[in-house]
Amino acid sequence: MDSSFLETRQLCKIFAPHQAAAVQALADIDLAIHRGEFAVLSGPSGSGKTTLLNIIGGLDGASSGTVILDGITVTELAEKELSRLRRDHIGFVFQAYNLIPVLTARENIEYVMRLQGRSHEECRRRGEEVAAKLDIGALLDKLPNQLSGGQQQRVAVARAVAGKPKLILADEPTANLDSKSAANLMDMMQQLNEDEGITIVFSSHDPQVISKAKHSIVLRDGKVAANEHLA
Amino acid sequence: MMFVHFAVRNIRAYRNRSLVTILLLALTTTMLVFATAFMDGSHAKMLSNAVEIYPGYIQITHRDFRDKPSLDNLIFDTGSVRRVVATTPGIAAFAPRFESFVLFAGDAKAVGGMLTGIEPAAEKKLSRLAASLTRGAYLEEGDGNRLYLGYELARRLKVEVGERLSFVGTGVDSSFAADTLVVKGIFNTGLFDFDATAAFVDKGYFDRIMMAENHATHFIVLPADPREADPVAADLNSRLGPDYLAESWRTTMEGLVQAMLVDSIFGYLTLAVIFIVIFFVVLIYTWLTVFARMREIGVLRAVGTRPGQILRMLVAESMLLALGSVVLGGIIGGVLAWYFHHHPICFSFSEEQFKQYGLAASSMPTAFAPLVILRDMAVMFVLAVGSTLYPIVKANRVRPIEAIHHV
Repeated sequence: MDSSFLETRQLCKIFAPHQAAAVQALADIDLAIHRGEFAVLSGPSGSGKTTLLNIIGGLDGASSGTVILDGITVTELAEKELSRLRRDHIGFVFQAYNLIPVLTARENIEYVMRLQGRSHEECRRRGEEVAAKLDIGALLDKLPNQLSGGQQQRVAVARAVAGKPKLILADEPTANLDSKSAANLMDMMQQLNEDEGITIVFSSHDPQVISKAKHSIVLRDGKVAANEHLA
Repeated sequence: MMFVHFAVRNIRAYRNRSLVTILLLALTTTMLVFATAFMDGSHAKMLSNAVEIYPGYIQITHRDFRDKPSLDNLIFDTGSVRRVVATTPGIAAFAPRFESFVLFAGDAKAVGGMLTGIEPAAEKKLSRLAASLTRGAYLEEGDGNRLYLGYELARRLKVEVGERLSFVGTGVDSSFAADTLVVKGIFNTGLFDFDATAAFVDKGYFDRIMMAENHATHFIVLPADPREADPVAADLNSRLGPDYLAESWRTTMEGLVQAMLVDSIFGYLTLAVIFIVIFFVVLIYTWLTVFARMREIGVLRAVGTRPGQILRMLVAESMLLALGSVVLGGIIGGVLAWYFHHHPICFSFSEEQFKQYGLAASSMPTAFAPLVILRDMAVMFVLAVGSTLYPIVKANRVRPIEAIHHV
């Protein structure tokens, strides 16, 4: 295993740093996640899970410290380079699905690939391949508002996977799903992790979901409370 | 291309917003096209009324006549002027006139007025005198002492067609000139002051009675293209030499030019105020709609869309909406301009007010100029797209995570 695929060093995040109500969301986070891992960030609400994922993915900036992804120092990149990094190397799955409402499931899945400049045929083939793996092949021509929550989240996972990223960051992907749908989704994500070799880091506070991970990181009050590799 | 496709999707998906934007911009474009057509049409009407009824597009006078209109500053050799004008290119018609202030006397009343000797046939091409006939007949060559006068002057003198009146005036040699005239025709140009003072006789008769053979106060010249009045006047000046002065209507009717300019300034100021209001309405509306889609913009950024690409998508959306709106507004405005060009708007209730501005008619045709309509459409397009840029750029600068969590 590659020991330095994703690293955070002394990562800090303070919200409203110059105000009296300043909040330290993350404090000196040192983490190392290996390539191909299926890792979970867990912890109570407000522990800093989402903030950490956002900073790793370049959606938000760190107050101090560094994030290094596959040799690239994410925290030093300009906005344009961050966009390129997200487009080519990172897939996001959000708690609220966040599909583009005016695009069909197929177009949502193909969107990142289109941004990457892939041909129409390649986008179509890869989109259908990923959709088949996530069992949403029959839903491709539907708009997001015609899909259930579970179906939308599977489309969101398909969108994240389709562009063949190195890393998928999923922020509480099962939070809005019933337990059966949540279990299904996690099984599918696990399968994708194994089939495609994509490193997946997700956050959750659902013990059933957490139990699927092979690397568990527990955050509490913005600090790493536990960090262990599971069998 | 993907972003144009995306923009089309957004326009269709946010149907109500698109419809409101299209209606707002189309209405403004219609207003602009119609307002411009109305303003240009009223100016054209004002010009044609004021210039074509009597003064003409170009006047040739002795160089000092304009400053000192005395008998010393007449054109003393109409033959030589006639020869120069006849060989000048770009001229459709011309004729000499001799204007003289006289005292008219009817059976009951005497009234001061202006008696002018004209060449009736040539004058038909140069002015609307003949076309303004209301009773009797227009003048002909060799009509002698037959008089063609304004309806208000006839009313004041209490004379009708066929009746006699006399006049007293001053001949070119400063001698006493007087004769009896017979009313041949009465005209009504709609210009009250003109109709109350002007009377015309055949120039052959006028020359004999006023000792004005081969003399004129001025020549009237009609350019083949009235829009070319200034260059034709300049050409005439170079050909006629320093003794004469050829001036276009812009100089001879400076008051009218000023009035049209002031009218244009107020017209464009009004339009500017409308534009500013529309600019901010569209800006605020775009602000609201773009910020209502912040979450979507945040997601697009999160999955790797560059700010420039989002800018392109939103601008494409704005351009498509603006294009649809200005085409719709341009067509509606154009149809209105075309219709009212052929069926002038009637303002009979404000006829008196129009007369103050030299408008002799109560109907106002709009101008129908496709190139002007296209110009207005282009202005509206730029305005519409321009007003959306600030909110788009502003929204695009928000960090992805803030955009996703935007409420």
